[in-house]
Parts: sequence; C-alpha cells; structure tokens
Amino acid sequence: MAESAAWVLALDHQLRAAVGERELAHLIEVPILLDVPRSPPYCRQVLVWNDTVLPAMDLAAWLRRQPMQRQQPLAGVFAYQTRPGADPEYGALLLSGIPTRTRVDDEQVCALPKQPNHWQSLAISCFRQGDQPIPILDLAHIFSGGLL
Amino acid sequence: MNGPTQTTALADLQAIRAFAVLTLDGRKWLLPQAEVQALESLLDIDREVKIPGSIGAVAFAGEWWPVYCLSGELQVLSHLPDGRRACPLLDNGADRFGLVCDQVETLAAAPRPQPLPACMTLPDSPIQALVLLNDGLGCVTTTEHLAALIAAAPEKADG
Repeated sequence: MAESAAWVLALDHQLRAAVGERELAHLIEVPILLDVPRSPPYCRQVLVWNDTVLPAMDLAAWLRRQPMQRQQPLAGVFAYQTRPGADPEYGALLLSGIPTRTRVDDEQVCALPKQPNHWQSLAISCFRQGDQPIPILDLAHIFSGGLL
Repeated sequence: MNGPTQTTALADLQAIRAFAVLTLDGRKWLLPQAEVQALESLLDIDREVKIPGSIGAVAFAGEWWPVYCLSGELQVLSHLPDGRRACPLLDNGADRFGLVCDQVETLAAAPRPQPLPACMTLPDSPIQALVLLNDGLGCVTTTEHLAALIAAAPEKADG
C-alpha cells in the first residue's frame, strides 16, 4: 500500500483540494497583488516572488464561475513541471486558510466531487478525507493555460 | 509554459533598451520608445476630422493621424476622460495613430520584461510582457497590438 504526503488547501470557505508535499514552495500572508488588465476573471492579478512575476489564480472563482470576495487573502506559491526533468516553474493560488499536511494511501482514492461540476478539468485524482472528497490538482495544466 | 512564438517575441522585447510609459487611467502601458514618433498637445487635435472609433485627428508631417482614446483596460472610448494631457503619435511603419494619455514618460533604465503567465494570456491579449516598475506593474505592448485592438473594437461593439 503506497502512502505519500500531501497538503490540503482551502480554496474558499468550503472547497478543498490537495497538492503533493513538494509542490507547495512558499506561503505568503497578505500578499501584494497587482492587477493585470485584460486577463481572465479568475486570474486578474499577479504577485512578485523572488523578483519574478507569478500568476495569482483564484480556483474557487473558476470553479464557481463568479468572483470571490476575500477578507484576508493568503497565497501559496506552488512548483510544477511541464514535463519530467524540466526545470520547475511557479504559480500562486489564492487560499482561504493555512494548508494542512496529511498522509494519503491508495485505499483513500475516490471519485471527484460532482459539484461544482468542473473538477475534472483541474484534478488528476481524488482521495477521501473523512467524508469529504479532496481532488488532487494538476498544477501544470492549471498554470499552463489549460483553463483558458 | 510559453510557446516558441511567445518566447521569440519576449526575446525581441528584452533586446529593446528604451521604453515609453503611457499612463491610461493610472495604468502603465509600455511601448518601445522607437515607436513614439512625436508628442502632441490635446489642443492640436481636430475633433472634426474623424474616422470610426477615433475622437479626432492630428495633422503631422503632412498627414492626418487619427487619434484614439483608450481606457486603462484598453477599451476604445468615444469620449475624452478627465486627466488626459498628452497625445503621443505612434508609428511602427505600418500603423500610425495618436493615443491620448494621462502622461507619457521615458523609462530611465532598461526594464526586464517578463512573460505574461500562460494562464493569463487570452487569445486577443495585447500584453506582450510584464515589467516591474518602482511604483507598480507595467504592461508591455506594441503599436501593432494596439492597432489590432482598435481595429477589432467596432466589430465587438456591433456584436
């Protein structure tokens, strides 16, 4: 039985998703977000991390198809690879809470949530934590323009 | 992940040393300085000489240059918002027009254009790169992309 570590992310007050343990690179409390005109409504801002401009994506807004009001924005910086062996690239996700670490094994696999009904575009798999399904994000797809 | 065409375009922009900063409704748009042919006053705009989408025209070098007004989000406006003070004339050899701006300045130092993240790149985006400025973020575009955006605007407005 394979077991691995993951971070569970609060995309908003209700939606949860997970990434691999090594994919979360940094957490920024009260990030400085800069508006980029003529960009998708769920990714209207960037933040600067290590002198690099990173997209700040609001996956809850994408899933719910409406902009989200965030009282205390929090951003996670995530690393991803577009192909095996490639240099890591980075993107940010807006979060509603501090990520929590968990361990996942094969027996927890489950189907993606039916609602919101767009999870299949974001997730590569899903596991159950208690009675809640937690989709595992496909970061390369998300940050490479797969949601456009 | 950025495609080869975008990578080439970015390399071209990174080779440009001088950029003009055009401020529109507080947003900063960067264009290659070489594409700014002249800087005219709003008083030089003849409001009677119009083509679709323009707010008037400026006579320069023996020709009428249509003048456009864009919002900070690059929406074509039919009126002149308060705060517009200058009218740079843009020329890339193929496209020639004036654009009324809040302010026009030249960047003192060569910036370091960074790619617009792929997940933010809409098909019709005029943004070719992003630049970190001392006072915020600048979006790099070109006269060619502005001209295409202006040309497409009436079609969008007509639905």
